Amino acid sequence: MRALTLHLKILITLLVALGIGITAYQIFVLGIPVTEDETDDLWSIDAKVEFVANTKGPIKVQMFVPPLNQNFVSLNESFISNNYGVSVNRNDGNRRVTWSSRRAKGTQTLYYRLVMTKRYSGNGEQQAPAASGSIFREAIPMQGAEKIAAEALLSPIRQHSADVETFISEAIKRIGNPNDENVKLLLGGNASVSNKARIVESILSIAHVPLERVHTIRLTPEQLQQTPELWLRSFNGKNWLYFNPQTGEQGLPSDRMIWWHGDQPLVTVEGGKTESVSFTLNNSEINAIRLAQLTDQNTHAQFLDYSLYGLPLSTQQTYQIMIMIPIGVLVILILRNLVGIQTLGTFTPVLIALAFRETQLGFGIALFTLITALGLSLRSYLEHLKLQMLPRLSVVLTFVVILIAMISLFSHKLGLERGLSVSLFPMVILTMTIERLSITWEERGGGHAFKVAVGTIIAGSLAHLLMNIPQLVYFIFTFPAVLLVLVGFMLAMGRYRGYRLTELLRFKALLKD
Amino acid sequence: MFGLIKTWKALKAKGIMGINQRNADYVLKYNKRSLYPIVDDKIITKLRAIEAGIQVPQMYGIIETEKDIDRLREIIDGHNDFVIKPAQGAGGDGIMVIADRFEGRYKTISGRIIRHDEIEHQISSILTGLYSLGGHRDRALIEYRVTPDPIFKSISYEGVPDIRIIVLQGYPVMAMLRLPTRQSSGKANLHQGAIGVGVDLATGITLHGTWLNSKISKHPDTTNAVDGVQLPDWNGFMTLAASCYELCGLGYIGVDMVLDKEQGPLILELNARPGLNIQIANDSGLTWRTQRVEAHLQELEQAGTQETPAERVRFTQQRFGHVQPRN
Repeated sequence: MRALTLHLKILITLLVALGIGITAYQIFVLGIPVTEDETDDLWSIDAKVEFVANTKGPIKVQMFVPPLNQNFVSLNESFISNNYGVSVNRNDGNRRVTWSSRRAKGTQTLYYRLVMTKRYSGNGEQQAPAASGSIFREAIPMQGAEKIAAEALLSPIRQHSADVETFISEAIKRIGNPNDENVKLLLGGNASVSNKARIVESILSIAHVPLERVHTIRLTPEQLQQTPELWLRSFNGKNWLYFNPQTGEQGLPSDRMIWWHGDQPLVTVEGGKTESVSFTLNNSEINAIRLAQLTDQNTHAQFLDYSLYGLPLSTQQTYQIMIMIPIGVLVILILRNLVGIQTLGTFTPVLIALAFRETQLGFGIALFTLITALGLSLRSYLEHLKLQMLPRLSVVLTFVVILIAMISLFSHKLGLERGLSVSLFPMVILTMTIERLSITWEERGGGHAFKVAVGTIIAGSLAHLLMNIPQLVYFIFTFPAVLLVLVGFMLAMGRYRGYRLTELLRFKALLKD
Repeated sequence: MFGLIKTWKALKAKGIMGINQRNADYVLKYNKRSLYPIVDDKIITKLRAIEAGIQVPQMYGIIETEKDIDRLREIIDGHNDFVIKPAQGAGGDGIMVIADRFEGRYKTISGRIIRHDEIEHQISSILTGLYSLGGHRDRALIEYRVTPDPIFKSISYEGVPDIRIIVLQGYPVMAMLRLPTRQSSGKANLHQGAIGVGVDLATGITLHGTWLNSKISKHPDTTNAVDGVQLPDWNGFMTLAASCYELCGLGYIGVDMVLDKEQGPLILELNARPGLNIQIANDSGLTWRTQRVEAHLQELEQAGTQETPAERVRFTQQRFGHVQPRN
């Protein structure tokens, strides 16, 4: 006996650990969302290039597009253009699209569209391109007053900084101060961001600190026309350090996406003029699981392959019902062995709960009660005829079918569409319920039969309610390993020896003295 | 909630056995599934008992097929009263008790006059499985009608009172007298409204009773006191019950017996899942007693000996008998 108990304990521990382990792996490692309501941002970015084509000669438009090895997953990318050849080439961490055409006339419009999401990109840090860059650069030659002003600025920067990081930060802050005479001289009246960046770059070059320009797009749901925002970055030997050229703040905010880096303009047009690029961002939310299925095709993460989501859609729907049956069974187990409610048969309430799916709860209970009551009266009439079991059951079943048909007809005439759902209400379940209830009635009396019937309805309703909580259905369908935990609990219940709740009432007489 | 916990603890302290504990610790542990047919089928029980020399109501005949029904007259020939039972019936269903013959017809115990073909229909219903557990085909058993000892006249209503003794591994641990009432329509089933009266294991004197889960001391129909009645031949009952372990091999059973006016204690049937109301009737918990027996069995096992039914009866009578009556 003891060995058996130990055996059981080990088995339960194993099952629960396995269930929790697999689920935790799915949630924390694979990142599968815990609720269905979880949504993810999906960004659709349009870059529209407009220019006026020269009347003669070939046209070649080159534009930077984001490199795809960043911390996002591209779901779709398209180049929309009429009569243009498209080619994309990579160069030094940038990607550039080239549209070319033999000839064109008037205003030309070209589109680039990227649909991307930040989720499911795996571990961004590891995915980032093996960071590389130079950590030394030659000083940019300067002359005269500029050189003196730069050097004058440099010495306090040196004093106020500890390393490359703070050095750059401090330099940007100094240049940002419009009251400084030296800064005024260096800027020469042009206080634009790009000019500031240029000055910062040349000052840092004196200290042999390399600096690179990065052009970013802001991922914001606000509908505004934006132009690429300039950021500066420097390589410290291990990572890229990003700086805001206005404030000197370090670190790239998470809503920025790098479009390209370097000093070249976003778009260059040969054979055209007055080119302009405008960006439009569109943010939509998408169900996290759907998104996962979409990204599945675009990334190496195939974590949904071996889940129930890998099944055909119609089969999935069946499984969403089937996988909840253990929950219903668990309800019955608890109600019978812990609470002590009496039900008809063992799993009849689960079948009734499944039947409630089609009729809705309130209507289902009304229907169940009505048909069972009518069936019982028929059954008690048949009792007088002293029929054998099988013919009697057949008569009851036929009667139930006729009853259901009549209820459907009436409710349809009355305009209650709900009544039509009855047609699929499992009548065999009803017949067996009537039969068993009437046997109980004869053997144990009406009071007991009523008690059992009410217990069955309660158990069935409870099971139905639990089996139809969408969040629970989603959770168990997505993390089926939870069922192992349930099995563990059921096994433990198999050796539960305590009182049932109703027994406390039943034996109460023993305590009165 | 707090009250429930208190009740729980009080019941535990009293050693009251719950259904879950009965199933897990006794029924599943001591009753081998393969032996169930012996107790579920009254015919097998009876044949086994006859083989072992244990007193049972005399069997007149068995009807197995529809064709056999023709043999009914032959079987009941020479018997004025008899009982027809389904072999695998539950809860006393489908039992027909014929008390007498009357002008070529039959008279049931309640005084109704029925024709011969009505009896045949009843047997036919039994054969189709109308009364059997799970609706399987069944056999009909025709046997001696027990006439209850007159001692029960004052404390029972119709029917035959029976004595239920719970037997663990051959040790009778608790006993109860079951008295039919008007509400139970002559049946001795507690959940149908019969009275259960606890019996002192040593003396065979009745204790207080239980009726529908509450304690009572008088029979609701005859208003006579049910306690303090000395059951005749009590040691005979105890030994009979104890020997049922060897008969069926099941370790935890309820033995149902009757006291016939002429033949004395007879075994009616065995039950592999005896109810728990016997605890209310005896105002005592089963767990406490079964654990004493289990401890005793362990001692015996270590000593490498076994006890005879008579020794087992003596053991439990000494340990659990001589209950002080409550005021």
